[in-house]
Amino acid sequence: MSTRSKFASGVLGLSTALMFAQAPETQGSLKIDFPKDSPVTLVSADWGQSRPTSRGGAVILDLHSQLSLRNSSARRIRGVTLIVLAQEVTPGGKGSVSVPSLDIAPGETFPIRIDLRLLRPVQGGDSMPVSVGLDGVLFDDLTFFGPNRLNSRRSMTVWELEAQRDRQYFKSVIERAGAEGLQKEMLAALGRVTDRPQGGVQMVRGRATNYEPEREMQFASLQFPGAPVEPLGGVAHISGNEARAPRLEIRNRSTKPVRYLEIGWIVEDQQGREFLAGSVPAEVNLAPGQKSQVLQDTALRFTDRTGIKGMTAFVNNVEYSDGRFWIPNRTDLSSERMRHIVAPSAEEQRLVQIYRKRGLKALVEELKKF
Amino acid sequence: MRHPQDDQLALFAGGDLGLLDRLRLRGHVRGCDACRRSVESYRSAAARLREETAKLPAGLKWDSLAAEMTANIRVGLAAGECVAGVTSKPALMTWKPALAVLALTLVVLSGWWLNFPQEQRANLARGMQGIWNRDARNVPDPTVYLEANRAGIQLRENGSAMTLMHPDRAPSVISVSTQGAMRARYVDSDTGQVTITNVYAQ
Repeated sequence: MSTRSKFASGVLGLSTALMFAQAPETQGSLKIDFPKDSPVTLVSADWGQSRPTSRGGAVILDLHSQLSLRNSSARRIRGVTLIVLAQEVTPGGKGSVSVPSLDIAPGETFPIRIDLRLLRPVQGGDSMPVSVGLDGVLFDDLTFFGPNRLNSRRSMTVWELEAQRDRQYFKSVIERAGAEGLQKEMLAALGRVTDRPQGGVQMVRGRATNYEPEREMQFASLQFPGAPVEPLGGVAHISGNEARAPRLEIRNRSTKPVRYLEIGWIVEDQQGREFLAGSVPAEVNLAPGQKSQVLQDTALRFTDRTGIKGMTAFVNNVEYSDGRFWIPNRTDLSSERMRHIVAPSAEEQRLVQIYRKRGLKALVEELKKF
Repeated sequence: MRHPQDDQLALFAGGDLGLLDRLRLRGHVRGCDACRRSVESYRSAAARLREETAKLPAGLKWDSLAAEMTANIRVGLAAGECVAGVTSKPALMTWKPALAVLALTLVVLSGWWLNFPQEQRANLARGMQGIWNRDARNVPDPTVYLEANRAGIQLRENGSAMTLMHPDRAPSVISVSTQGAMRARYVDSDTGQVTITNVYAQ
């Protein structure tokens, strides 16, 4: 073989290796670890389609798993949250997979699907250990089990309270207007799910990424009559399509101290369309009548075409110091504006899906279970 | 005026020169009577030869004759090398192989770039910038990005990424918490089971 041919073969071989090389196997890097006294136990875990590949300068690990869990407690389960950790890949990040709106009797099994992709530079090494653990289980009496590292007790309790609220509402519709009335509600809910505007948004933490001139924009306040906390206004820094560092003033107008709240952040674009940009959560210690400020050093970056024209804040949920919660009622959310902006609850979506798939009769039967 | 060698003129007359040499000689022959006459004489000699070969005796085995002549030429060349002891210099790379290598390099680079994960491009750009600025320190980018893309909800930091992927359907609800979390909600079309994935940046 001539020098020229050898050189060409070398380049071709190198290019093939770069494009199609497979990373070493990473079997054994997956770990599922539940506490010994866990009320859910792992029945099976199928990691069938999980595989590592090498692309460009990175190793990618795709994990596709279907876990089957059994309720090994004596109570009915309403929600489960699993924590997914890959600390060697993203030391500053965690993932979780939650299943709310469950009704799992003791001894019954249910599935949870985990689809995870990890990417790291080749020079970072091949090992990408992933651990899946239990963060919490919520029972039908709203008691909770689990390490609660992700504050899943709070999220799952709010989802369950929303579920109870919405089931109660649909039951009252049946009593008031019969199955026909429920059908109308379901059709309206279907429209809300499909028509709700959802702006593309990216959250950035660490440094400003937009170099356009910055201006301050005031928040308008949206008050719910029964809310224990009221937003009094606030500002955020706007630069191009980015809103940064929201600062909101709040007041506890209830008779009980508050330790946590979430404020909904509505953004209006230049075309006058409103969408829910995000929520601003805050751990507070707010005595009755007391005012406080909520600050977050984060930036929300919207799609390039979104120019920000206005912002509105409303209280989305509140946790009192005694561990009880407040959530908006159906009347608070029934205005045309809120119905358009706020997503239906997980339970409402589940009920809508039952109506779509199995019909009105099955939905009525489902509501009777609770 | 510098005239071409006779062997060059002979090759030109027979149409056996390469493209560049042929163009160069054609320009010279147009302006040089002496060389043009030489070319014409080569062409007429070639024509005569073709006429003579047409008159070769019947029964002549041209193929075996040609093979014998080729073998004789090879023997002669080998003998010449033995006597002279001359080592031939390896041919330098000419433009054709260089072009081929360039094209192959472009193919390799294009393949590499197309195959390069989107999440790594910012990291690569930062590394290249470091090399350009002759800054050898490998300073990690402190920025953490959380976004919902076509694949799922992704946390990106310093060239690495974790994505909780969408199942086989698009999420019905995506929400962001300014405390550093992004959430997607899916509803299973068959069972109605709701799954909520969260990715948290700290």
